[in-house]
Amino acid sequence: MFVEFTLNGEKVSAEISGETTALALLRENFDLIGAKEGCGVGECGACTILVDGVAVNGCLYLAGKLDGREVVTVEGVGGEDALDPLQKKFMEHGAVQCGYCTPGMLLSAKALLIRNPKPTLDEVKVAISGNLCRCTGYTPIVKAIMAATEEGK
Amino acid sequence: MSSLEKVVGVDGDRRDTLSKVTGRERFSGDYKVPGALALAIARSTEAHALIKNIDSSKAQALPWVVRVFTARDVPGENSYGIIPITKDQPMLAEGKVRFKGEAVALVAAETLEAAREAAALIRVDYEPLKASFTPEEALADGADKIHEKGNLCFEHDSLMGDPDKAFAEAAVVVEDTYTTSSIEHSYMEPESGFAVMEDDIVAVTVSTQNPHYDHADLCRLLGLENDKVRVKQATTGGGFGGKLDLSVHSYVALATLLTGRPSRLTYTREESFAASAKRHSFTMKYRTAADAEGNLLAVDAELIADTGAYASYGVAVAMRAAVHAAGPYMVPNSRVYSRAVYTNHVFSGAMRGFGVPQVALAHESQMEKIAAKLGIDPIELRLKNALKPGDKTITGQVLGDSVGIRECLEKIKAVRDGWGAAADDPDCFRGIGVGAMLYGIGNTGVSNPSTAQIRVNEAGGVTLYTGCADIGQGSDHALLAICAETLGLSREDIALVRADTKLTTNAGATSASRQTYISGNAVKDASEKFMAKAIEETAKITGKDIADLCFTGTGVKGAEREVTLTEIAESLKEQGNELIGEGYFDPETVPLDHHTGQGKPYSTYGFAAQLTRVHVDKATAEVKVEKLFAVHDIGKAIYPQGVIGQISGGSAMGVGLALMEEFDHASDKNFDTYLIPTVLDVPDVEASFIEHAEPTGPYGAKGVGEPALIPTAPAIVNAISDAVGVRITSLPANLERVHRALQLMGGK
Repeated sequence: MFVEFTLNGEKVSAEISGETTALALLRENFDLIGAKEGCGVGECGACTILVDGVAVNGCLYLAGKLDGREVVTVEGVGGEDALDPLQKKFMEHGAVQCGYCTPGMLLSAKALLIRNPKPTLDEVKVAISGNLCRCTGYTPIVKAIMAATEEGK
Repeated sequence: MSSLEKVVGVDGDRRDTLSKVTGRERFSGDYKVPGALALAIARSTEAHALIKNIDSSKAQALPWVVRVFTARDVPGENSYGIIPITKDQPMLAEGKVRFKGEAVALVAAETLEAAREAAALIRVDYEPLKASFTPEEALADGADKIHEKGNLCFEHDSLMGDPDKAFAEAAVVVEDTYTTSSIEHSYMEPESGFAVMEDDIVAVTVSTQNPHYDHADLCRLLGLENDKVRVKQATTGGGFGGKLDLSVHSYVALATLLTGRPSRLTYTREESFAASAKRHSFTMKYRTAADAEGNLLAVDAELIADTGAYASYGVAVAMRAAVHAAGPYMVPNSRVYSRAVYTNHVFSGAMRGFGVPQVALAHESQMEKIAAKLGIDPIELRLKNALKPGDKTITGQVLGDSVGIRECLEKIKAVRDGWGAAADDPDCFRGIGVGAMLYGIGNTGVSNPSTAQIRVNEAGGVTLYTGCADIGQGSDHALLAICAETLGLSREDIALVRADTKLTTNAGATSASRQTYISGNAVKDASEKFMAKAIEETAKITGKDIADLCFTGTGVKGAEREVTLTEIAESLKEQGNELIGEGYFDPETVPLDHHTGQGKPYSTYGFAAQLTRVHVDKATAEVKVEKLFAVHDIGKAIYPQGVIGQISGGSAMGVGLALMEEFDHASDKNFDTYLIPTVLDVPDVEASFIEHAEPTGPYGAKGVGEPALIPTAPAIVNAISDAVGVRITSLPANLERVHRALQLMGGK
């Protein structure tokens, strides 16, 4: 099947099979390797991407459903010269250790801030509760997200 | 930059974070490997069985399948393992299988789908043997032997003083049996790697904690000389001990060596769960004696660990658990008997703490029981017995100067007093608990050196070469700080080449909380030697006195002009020499006596204490850790944010150990049933450290990676006990166990 969608602000298209996941399409066809497979069953959140501003598990989301939608991956959140406040605060607060969960964490946080620019601490925690991190203990990640929301105010 | 600026103790910017937040960092599975064969593994469906026949004809006949490999294709010795005396694990099962999920055959195909389909078509005829799933079953009469030598993998004895006399004379003796669970490391990146031929060299790029060990065992498995295998560490998505064993390495190396084509393999999470190491579950029988004032007199501990089907780090875990069995206290009499026992579970290996988190549950529970019997405040009891410089540990080691446990305990006492009484809540019980620990930095009673080099690069700057694998914790950043501080540079001035067996020399494993201390010392030594050599050569070039010359970071300056590093290097090169600083450090240890366990297992120890407040829901038995304060004596924080990150991450893992994690070998396949802490399960960790400088450490540093985890579970269990008045002796303290405790409490 043929899909056409907006990927990090650009119109793209691809010929895919029905069972192709969004994660596989992004990684294999577009070499966007920020989204990772951590579990393949939608439990760890390492594959999180934004579809029309909502965080979804790329490992479960079928690529065919992307047709006509707007997709943002971590690469589209901000590049080296134009970092998003979230990315900057992750760097400053020690929220990145091994980095494997980082893209997914950033996108879950981004989805929250799109719909709620001034979240409470509890809202931040709920927003990233589907993203597992084994390195940081989450405390630095939560601090980084809270700092980014304060910067945005 | 100014050479006066201090680098050690300053956070600075890690050089890996920008690429990680922008999604550009490539882990092993993110590389394009043109022409790579996809691999899949056929795994054992039996826990313990003889292999009568392997029929791969259907697999071989599938389109796109290139080749199927079994044990008979392994060119070298089909046995590996980190500990030289227990290299007992085959890369492909030979004659028998010892756990469900063990690799039996390997398929290489043009597509991953074809490889997996083919692997599923491989038929293995098994003749089942009696399987043992606990150490008790494995050691019972009539158990089938898992290995030729029998089912006892390793035993270790330790004896100090006269424990029998001490127990007879004690005012108080407490005893109990404690158990801990099998735990999956759950690094977010599953095992992954690829291999290519570089001329006649098999080059493996892989997620690993220990590239030089990997290299040695790959040479053994493949029957190749040292210079025919290269291991490059890819950016590694966590390890926690679970990426110290070989995983995908041997399969990609074998397929590439025997087909001449690149190959790649990434484990699914299900494969990672089935075939990677676990934390040893322990059963620990403890007796502890004290006098009427609460001075500890003796500890008698019997430890038994399930090491699973292969030894992996079992020897190290059983030995380290024994050495740490008394905790951070002065105990004049002790007897410890520790065993690692083979079972038909997937192998247990190294996991953050090597058996010490397990014994910490026991010794810290025993301290609470003594405190309760004698009516002494639990922190006061610990302070009374806390080790001091010059005290002897239970291996007879006289401690050096860096012993910060008392200060850690005093800090948590002040914090506890500050927390005050929690507000009354009709729906829950609240309690406060303490955990304390010591942890030996580096491997136990054996030489475990690190090496490093400093060279001049083409740009005229310096390059640090280290074999140390940064697995995300930030060792690169710490080692660069030590290098920069010593050379009077900033981290940004130094190029880094790391963890590639062709370009770097052995730094030992990223484990045992050893890299900051041991590789840090090697880097400092390399830096100092580099400076000395540059100055010495400049003296020859300029005719100046060495005393009049100083190293500037970019060259050496005397009276007139600066002689650049490039000039110095060229001058040396003309003489057939090289401008290089070659660093080495091996911590001073004395092997443990085989009969008494006495010796000097480590040259230094980290210390810590943690304090938690929990609430236990009266209706649901749910335990919530409300607060966690941690204080660690780490000698010196080279990279303070990294230290705090280790403590925060370690204590979250400790919450999992305490309350949630129990790997069910029969049913846990993925994170849908094996639950690790999410952000909603962990408290905001208030992490802090004190700096009792270690005289032999680089700028006084010790280590923190494993200590971060160790006091957490005991502190939580002690807090639950404080809340409900019933002691939980088996981890995890899950809903079922806490519910039972609440029922017992109601019966009182």
